[in-house]
Amino acid sequence: MNLGRKKKESIETVLYTIPSIILVTLTIYIPFVMSGYYSLTEWNGISKDPVFVGFDNFITLFSKSSDFTTSLVFTAKYTILFMIITNVFALALAVVLVKKLKMANVLRGVFFVPYIMSMTIVGFIWKFIFSQGFAKLFEMTGMEFLNLSWLGDPKLAFYSVVFVGIWQSVGFYVVLYIAGLQAVPSDVLEAAIVDGANGRQKFFRVTLPLLGPSITTCVFMSLTNSLKVFDIILALTKGGPGGSTYSVTLDIYREAFQNNNYGLGSAKSLVFFVIILVLTQLVLKGSRNKEVDI
Amino acid sequence: MTGKQKKRTKLILLEVLMILIALVYIYPVYLMFINSVKPFGEVVADVIALPKTIEWQNYKDVIDKMNYGRLFLNNVVITTIGILGIVAFSASTAYILDRRPGKYTRVVHLLVITPMLIPFQTIMITLLKVMNIVHLSGSTWGLGIQYWGFGIPMATFIYCNFMKTIPKEIDESAFMDGASTAKTFTAVIFPLLKSVTATVIVLDVMWIWNDFLLPLLMVNSSPKTKTLVLSAYAFVGQFNTQWHYAMTAMVLAVVPSIIFFILLQKNIVDGVVAGAVKG
Repeated sequence: MNLGRKKKESIETVLYTIPSIILVTLTIYIPFVMSGYYSLTEWNGISKDPVFVGFDNFITLFSKSSDFTTSLVFTAKYTILFMIITNVFALALAVVLVKKLKMANVLRGVFFVPYIMSMTIVGFIWKFIFSQGFAKLFEMTGMEFLNLSWLGDPKLAFYSVVFVGIWQSVGFYVVLYIAGLQAVPSDVLEAAIVDGANGRQKFFRVTLPLLGPSITTCVFMSLTNSLKVFDIILALTKGGPGGSTYSVTLDIYREAFQNNNYGLGSAKSLVFFVIILVLTQLVLKGSRNKEVDI
Repeated sequence: MTGKQKKRTKLILLEVLMILIALVYIYPVYLMFINSVKPFGEVVADVIALPKTIEWQNYKDVIDKMNYGRLFLNNVVITTIGILGIVAFSASTAYILDRRPGKYTRVVHLLVITPMLIPFQTIMITLLKVMNIVHLSGSTWGLGIQYWGFGIPMATFIYCNFMKTIPKEIDESAFMDGASTAKTFTAVIFPLLKSVTATVIVLDVMWIWNDFLLPLLMVNSSPKTKTLVLSAYAFVGQFNTQWHYAMTAMVLAVVPSIIFFILLQKNIVDGVVAGAVKG
């Protein structure tokens, strides 16, 4: 009797979990293992059999100044700038938006709107603004920065891409920081006022340390999101001008689906995986150590 | 007294400043809207000015050219199939993982959640090959099913965290009353997971509806299976000098998201926060 029930339970346990296992295996694990295999081959996707080449692809990636290293440098610069500006700007906005403003809810909504739009469309909107909008605004105001070639000059295009990336997603981080700020206990803040802390001290000595978990979440999310940046760049610059705005993900896409180098593309994608894994673990470890409990 | 007044003046000034920043912030979206109802000549002459006449013809033309109704339907099919599977499989998996601790469930837990660490771009090249073999590429329903695999890890993770907070006495009393595991899950546990289910739905609708790269790889080859974003992308590329059409196409692509947001603002914001903090 009891044994029968146990057996039935084990069968149930398997039945409830097997669909998830199959689906995850099919869409993620099998392609992942195959990527590992293809990264050791040369294959154009059309010919029948991939040619085994050992670690040649990985050597190619790093030996000469390849597209891959250029895109790595671009992505690193993008990520650093994006993370710093997004988090500082979002925290500043959140600090203001938790105050008792009459329009606080509407304002929060406004900053969140770009986040719910498709990133591709966001890229196009800004392409329009940079080309048509800026030209007209320059005509009206004569402000010199509006007359620069924000998408045509490699140096400026970098900043344009970073700017649009931040514009699209800052609302998301504002919402997270607001939630964190609302969770800071008011009695701790009152105690700080009683002890004679001024506004700045209150923020830097009390609020900020207690925001630890929110900062960890936001730093982590902004890191992974900026490392994977793809849609916005594709719509805004397509990697140009002159290949100056190719991110790693865009480079992987180009290598596989435009140059038909599936082997080399797979090798790049695996290196990208290792980079993301190492960086995210480092950030998680580093920031968890700094968090403060009450 | 004066201190309080000073504080109030400061708050009003701050509010005015924030309103100005918000207006500048949202200005590009506003420009997209006003230029979508201008005739071509007006867009070229002055992108900043309000339209002199409202040209609804733009919308008629673009809806026809894009086959908007079909695209919208495709998006609904893909998103609905995706969400239903993700919620059903993740919730039931998380339920068993939490309630039947043991060697098997520990391994499954790890197996199902680990893919959160693998970026999509790492597997996209070979994914297309695998999906061709199992015939899930090239159709809207097939794409919907693919989202199950990609959505389950994160959703299961969120559900698992919440399952821990539901006391085991609740299922035990249901068992006492003679309910089966399936009955207990569907009638007792799943309703208690309502708030997490809302979080999962909000996050996954926003993701699947606006997703670009996976649909680009899987359903871009036929106009019958394309999504809204894919079609807007192609359309803007094709009409990149006819900005009035491009703007209209872009508005048509984002309006569903904006309506979704206005109707469910509070749920969306709560869901995004819950998802980020738990995920």
